[in-house]
Amino acid sequence: MITPDVLTDYIRKSMPDAVVTVLDRTGTMDHLKVVIVSDAFQGKNLLDRHRLIYQALDAPMKDGRIHALELTAQTKEEC
Amino acid sequence: MAEPVDDEIKKEVQAHKILIYGKGTKTMPMCGFTRETMQFFDKYNYPYELIDVLSQPAKREALTKMTNWPTLPKVFIDGTFYGDTDILDPMEKKGEMEPLLKKAFGR
Repeated sequence: MITPDVLTDYIRKSMPDAVVTVLDRTGTMDHLKVVIVSDAFQGKNLLDRHRLIYQALDAPMKDGRIHALELTAQTKEEC
Repeated sequence: MAEPVDDEIKKEVQAHKILIYGKGTKTMPMCGFTRETMQFFDKYNYPYELIDVLSQPAKREALTKMTNWPTLPKVFIDGTFYGDTDILDPMEKKGEMEPLLKKAFGR
């Protein structure tokens, strides 16, 4: 499991402007739906946006703190 | 040099218009996201293949490298990588899925 604060810190390391919303899908804080709004996604297709997020969350995904992840990635303009 | 497993993946991707690399089998998916992906394609009347890579760690690793995508399932349509339902759902909402599948299957 991971707290929303720790997850947000990981994201902001590569996307400092990110607004991060974390939803717990199973009550165990390891199956998460994460919505990220950042202008780092500007000009990137969905695949590359999600790759950016996966790279930012590489550590907590590899060590099992995050088991499953559903992602939404938008720029500020798109919200 | 290309690994044999890379060639195997290429052949599989070419052989199936819709291919899901996931966890488990059609009758017994072992992961909620694999099941969701099957349900996504069940809505369309096109055949799809599910290949279990839980039992094939080398292939799983090769796929991750090839696609630069760390998670399962991984979906290929007509030879192109489309990620997972996080990508497919928004495509569907924009009306892009049906034309893509029609083009892939030629009907």
